[in-house]
Amino acid sequence: MKTIKVSFRVNDEPVAFQVRPYETLLETLRERLDLIGGKEACGMGACGACTVIVDGIPLRSCLVLTPEVNGASITTIEGLGKDGNLHPLQESFMEKGAVQCGFCTSGMIMTAKALLDRNKRPSKKEVVKTMSSNICRCTGYKKIIEAVLDAASKETSKA
Amino acid sequence: MILPKFDYKKGEDVASAIALYEGSKGRARYLAGGTDLIPLVKLRLSTPGAVIDLKGIEPLKAVSRKGGSLIIGANVTLFELKTHDLVREYFPALYESLDATSCETLQMRGTIGGNILQNTRCLLYNKSLDWRTARGFCYKMGGETCNVVPYAVACFSNYCSDNALSLISLKAGVKLAGPQGERKIKLEKLFSGDGRDPFMLKPGEILTEVHVPLKRSTGAYEKLRVRNAIDYPLLGVAVSIQDGKGRVCVGGIGPAPKAYDLKDLSASALKEVAKQARHEARPVSNTTLSPGYRKKMTQVLTERAVKRAMKEGK
Repeated sequence: MKTIKVSFRVNDEPVAFQVRPYETLLETLRERLDLIGGKEACGMGACGACTVIVDGIPLRSCLVLTPEVNGASITTIEGLGKDGNLHPLQESFMEKGAVQCGFCTSGMIMTAKALLDRNKRPSKKEVVKTMSSNICRCTGYKKIIEAVLDAASKETSKA
Repeated sequence: MILPKFDYKKGEDVASAIALYEGSKGRARYLAGGTDLIPLVKLRLSTPGAVIDLKGIEPLKAVSRKGGSLIIGANVTLFELKTHDLVREYFPALYESLDATSCETLQMRGTIGGNILQNTRCLLYNKSLDWRTARGFCYKMGGETCNVVPYAVACFSNYCSDNALSLISLKAGVKLAGPQGERKIKLEKLFSGDGRDPFMLKPGEILTEVHVPLKRSTGAYEKLRVRNAIDYPLLGVAVSIQDGKGRVCVGGIGPAPKAYDLKDLSASALKEVAKQARHEARPVSNTTLSPGYRKKMTQVLTERAVKRAMKEGK
């Protein structure tokens, strides 16, 4: 089968590849770019461990074909920290103990970042609703919700 | 899970997408959000030679008012529709069903057209190829039997769209474009009632628009599921009330939703409809909940939804 030429931006850097038409974005990110923050857990779009942000929208990268994101701008968990500092969400997840095995964490943080990008000060109810997009099998969700609220309050107090 | 080999094509407009389909010898599938199609392809339940991406077709991304109807382009995502002012104001049942669909991240990807045309589901169908081979293929996989109901002559897979139910309660229609031209039908006429091939679509047809009569309504949507997020409905009931008359739509049981008219808003009419819905529901043991429970809940959720819709109207 013929390969397809795609080019897009990942964490503010332009990339271009010849990809297989049936290649998922998750495979491209992990295997071609070595961005292994996004994980494949269910592979069916149910769990959210593979979430990345494409043009401001959180997407399950296991359900997206790489040719579909031609020309898009993609942010992965690796692109969050700036100049060696962690993103406030990452700090809050550490402080509040919202990580146990860590497999779901990158997806959780990307979903939370997309929420905070469109809603600077979400209520607890809104956070619970958005974070229900992702599944965690170890810590439970209380600490994750606390961490997102903590990051939101820190961000707004700074601004 | 690794995808099988297929080709990727992009439709620039509806006509070119149909032309691409015609050039594929019937082996292509249309791709919109991909939240239903890609898992099916991963499980080898669908093996297209090519996918035709419809996401780039701009006219299908618009919501507009025309001639007393709200016209929703098939490419509008569920999240965009949920946050649209008119939907919340005019169609509360649709708002609630959009909100109850899966989770926010998937609502941002899934489109209204794709949500209506999602494939029917069954506990013994949506499984890996190895699992299905070991069990033996059922009607829906091209086999000669039903794995849920022995000696059945039909397929009992469930149609799991939340939003089709509320749209039927709002008397919506859909516009289809295909190699033989355009046609407009009522949404409830889209269903064949056969789980093997649940839609009355001709080969190569694309659902382009959903038309909802723009008339203020009160309504509600009740959904039965195990988890409060991500899950498909195991039973869904949508109710919309306009001008003192109501319309109830029950889905999630069997391959086609069932609609009932509510003559007036009296308690006796409500009881009658709820009993009829329960009586006509034919659940089989192809979900994680027992058929008996789902049958009983049909009456409970219908009463609950209608009562809530009436209360909002006051």
